[in-house]
Amino acid sequence: MNPPAKDPAPPFAMTGGLVRRDGREVLAGIDLRVGAGDVLAVLGPNGAGKSTLVKALLGLVPLAGGRTEIYGVPPARFRDWNRIGYVPQRLPAGGGVPATVREVVASGRVARRSRRRPAPFTDRAADRAAVERALRTVGLTDRARDSAHLLSGGQQQRMLIARALAGEPDVFVLDEPTAGVDARSQAALASTLHELTTAGRTVVLVAHGLGPMEPLITRTIELDHGRIVRETALDTLERPA
Amino acid sequence: MSEMLQYDFMRVALVMAVLIGLTAPAVGTFIVQRRLSLLGDGIGHIALTGIGLGLLTGTSPVLGALVVSVLGAVAIEVLRARSRSGGDVALALLFYGGLAGGVILTNANGGGSATLQSYLFGSISSVTVSDLYVVAGLAATVLAIITLFGRELFLLCLDEEVARAAGLPVRFLSVLIAATAAVTVVISMRAIGLLLVSALMVVPVAAAQQLTRGFWGTMLTAMGIGVLSAVSGLAGSFEYDLPPGPSIVLLALAAFVAAVTGGSVVRRRRARAALDGVAAGPGVEARVDAEAEVLG
Repeated sequence: MNPPAKDPAPPFAMTGGLVRRDGREVLAGIDLRVGAGDVLAVLGPNGAGKSTLVKALLGLVPLAGGRTEIYGVPPARFRDWNRIGYVPQRLPAGGGVPATVREVVASGRVARRSRRRPAPFTDRAADRAAVERALRTVGLTDRARDSAHLLSGGQQQRMLIARALAGEPDVFVLDEPTAGVDARSQAALASTLHELTTAGRTVVLVAHGLGPMEPLITRTIELDHGRIVRETALDTLERPA
Repeated sequence: MSEMLQYDFMRVALVMAVLIGLTAPAVGTFIVQRRLSLLGDGIGHIALTGIGLGLLTGTSPVLGALVVSVLGAVAIEVLRARSRSGGDVALALLFYGGLAGGVILTNANGGGSATLQSYLFGSISSVTVSDLYVVAGLAATVLAIITLFGRELFLLCLDEEVARAAGLPVRFLSVLIAATAAVTVVISMRAIGLLLVSALMVVPVAAAQQLTRGFWGTMLTAMGIGVLSAVSGLAGSFEYDLPPGPSIVLLALAAFVAAVTGGSVVRRRRARAALDGVAAGPGVEARVDAEAEVLG
C-alpha cells in the first residue's frame, strides 16, 4: 500500500451534526474532526447513536442540521470513495442467494474501478493480488471458496474487514467490529488494525469496549443519548512501535 | 424432438426458449437477492396495459408492453425508495391498475378473451421470425448490461449501504435492475405469458441456490436450469399438446424440488467434511457452526 496522500482537509469534519429519526433527535450538537492518522474509538451504551454517527460521517444517514465533510467535501459531492473503507456490522442476509467469501472480499475493489473502463477491461491481476492479500491478512485464505453466510460471527467480521482492505483505502470506518466476536478473532482484528495504523491509515471504529485494541487507539469519544459526553486524547499513552 | 424441428414455428420457438431460459434467471438472481421476487409479477401486470395501448393505437403490442413496463418498473423503484411504509400498498395499486387497465383496453379494441389469454399465458406458436429478432436483440441487451455492471449490481444486492459508501450510483443501479427485469418480462411474455413470467426469474434461482456456494455460480446454474426447463417444457408441450408456459414453469418447479432434495444431501456431506477438517484445526466455534449445519 502506498502512504496516504497529504491532504489539507481532514478525512472527516462534522459541525453541529443533527440527525432526526421519526421526529426524535438521535444525534445532536456533534462537533467532530477526525484527522489523518487518527485512530478514533466511538464508545457508548446501546442506542447512544454510535452507528448513526459513523453513518452520518459517511453520508449514509442524512443530516437534519449542521454539516459534515469528507476530505473537505460534503458527502453528496464527494467522489474519491476509493479512499474510504466502510465495514458494516454484519453481512445482510438478503434473499438467500449465496456468495463465496472471495466474492464478498472482491466486491471491495469496486470503488477502485475507473468509470471509463467497464468491467471486462479492468486490471484483473491487481484486483486478484489485492483480494489474496486481504484474505491472508485476516487469515481466511482457506475459507475463500466457502459460502459467506455459513461463517461464524467472528469470521464474517474478518471477511468484511478484508473487503475493506481489498479496496486499499486511506480511511477505515468500522461499525462494531468486535460485537459478538470471540477472543481469537478480536486478537486477529487488533493485529490487523496495528498494521493499518503503523502504515498511517486513519481508523474510526465503533465499540462497546476496547479490549485488545486499546493500545492502538489515539482518541476516544463517548456518546450518550446522541450527544458527545466525553472526549479523550490518548496520545500521551505509550503506543506500540 | 426431431419431429418438432421440422416445423418452422417450433424452430423459432426453441431459439426463443433458449433466450428466455438464459435471461430470465440471470436477471432473477439479482431480483431474488434484493428480496424483490414478486417484482416480475408486478411488471407483468403493468405490461398488460402496454399491450392494450399497443393494440388500441395500432402500433406493436410488444413495443407498447416494453415502454409501459419499463416506465412501470422505474415507478416501482421510485416508490420503493421514497416511502418506507406505504411502498407496499403503492405497489399493489400499480399492479392492479395495470391489470385492470390492460383488460379494459384490450376489450375496447375489440380483442376478446382469446387475445387476452394469449398474452396472459403465452402462445408460442404465434411467434414469428421478426418477433424472434426483437427478442434476441432485447436478450442481448439484458445480458450485456449484466456483464458490464455485474460487479456493481452484485455489491448493490449484497449490501446497499456499503455500495453507497463505495460511491456507486445506487439509485441508478436500482432502476437499472428494475428496467432490466421489465425488458425480461417483455422477452418472455410471448412464450410463457405475463402471469407466469416471474416464475422463470425466481424458480431456477431458488433451485440453484440449494446447490451452490457462490453468487456467480448460482447465476450460471440457474441459467442452466432455466434453459433446460424452457426447452424441455416446450418439447413436452409439443409432444403432449399442452400449453407451453405452464409446462415450462412446472418443469422448473420440479427442478426446484429435486434441488432441495439433492441440496440437503450435498450440504450434509459438506458439513461433515468441515467437521472432520475442524477436528484437526481451529477452535470450538467453527465446529459448533458445522454441527449446527448438520442439525439444521
